[in-house]
Amino acid sequence: MNRRELLQKALGVGAAALAVSQLRAQSAASQYNGPAGGSRGSQLVTILTGPFDTSSQPNGVAPLAATPQYATYVRIQAHPGQEGKIAIGGPAMASTSGNVTDSSFLELWPNWDASFDNGRSDTWILSDPKWLNTIDLSQIYVYPEIAGETPIITAFQLV
Amino acid sequence: MTVLTPSAASGPFTVSGAPAPIASSSTLVNQLSVKPRLGQWSKILIGGPNLGTDESTAMAILYPVPNGGQADAFVIQDQGGQNTIELSQIYVFATIPGDSPMVEAFGYQTI
Repeated sequence: MNRRELLQKALGVGAAALAVSQLRAQSAASQYNGPAGGSRGSQLVTILTGPFDTSSQPNGVAPLAATPQYATYVRIQAHPGQEGKIAIGGPAMASTSGNVTDSSFLELWPNWDASFDNGRSDTWILSDPKWLNTIDLSQIYVYPEIAGETPIITAFQLV
Repeated sequence: MTVLTPSAASGPFTVSGAPAPIASSSTLVNQLSVKPRLGQWSKILIGGPNLGTDESTAMAILYPVPNGGQADAFVIQDQGGQNTIELSQIYVFATIPGDSPMVEAFGYQTI
């Protein structure tokens, strides 16, 4: 099995496991998607991946998830080739009436032409050191300085 | 249940003319990062309560990020999964008064 086939297989298994966990949470009338916060499963699955578009949200500020969903690892990367900074913060960033980035706790520099740091993109990573699902994606907000730009976001959950 | 939550101490941290603690009262967190604010020109010094305005007592010195690329950062996390990092004992100084390095801190909370 080559790497591509292995990745496809892993993603397929992950999606199935995630669907099961979501159904379990919904049947228990939980107020969150997937496993409860602080849990620790045995299978690492992606619950968020790819370019993240916030353009439909007020002020262009969006949470990573609309309802609480707990991850063990989150990675946000400036999208190579795009030109705006990316601000990351908490719920205060969504409700601010002033400069959105002044309410953030972190900014990522853009990487528009790979001319700095051997082309590496600025990246923010948050992970639980014990690999517990403790990071509430609905409490992490993202704001691209240039409307329509799309940071690359990945979140993993143990189910 | 336990969740990792952004600390109230997170955000731009404006440093006037002297080293200042990240929190004025005892605040324990699991993870802390300090980065220069993008586009600002200060070097950022990080240290303990004895941090001065030169580099002789700094535990980390961050270079500014004037124009793209990866930002320099100081990151520390308790790998045991406990809130053990005391923000009131970590001091920050920006070599240009008024600059505001970005502080990001997460701590465990029970909800």
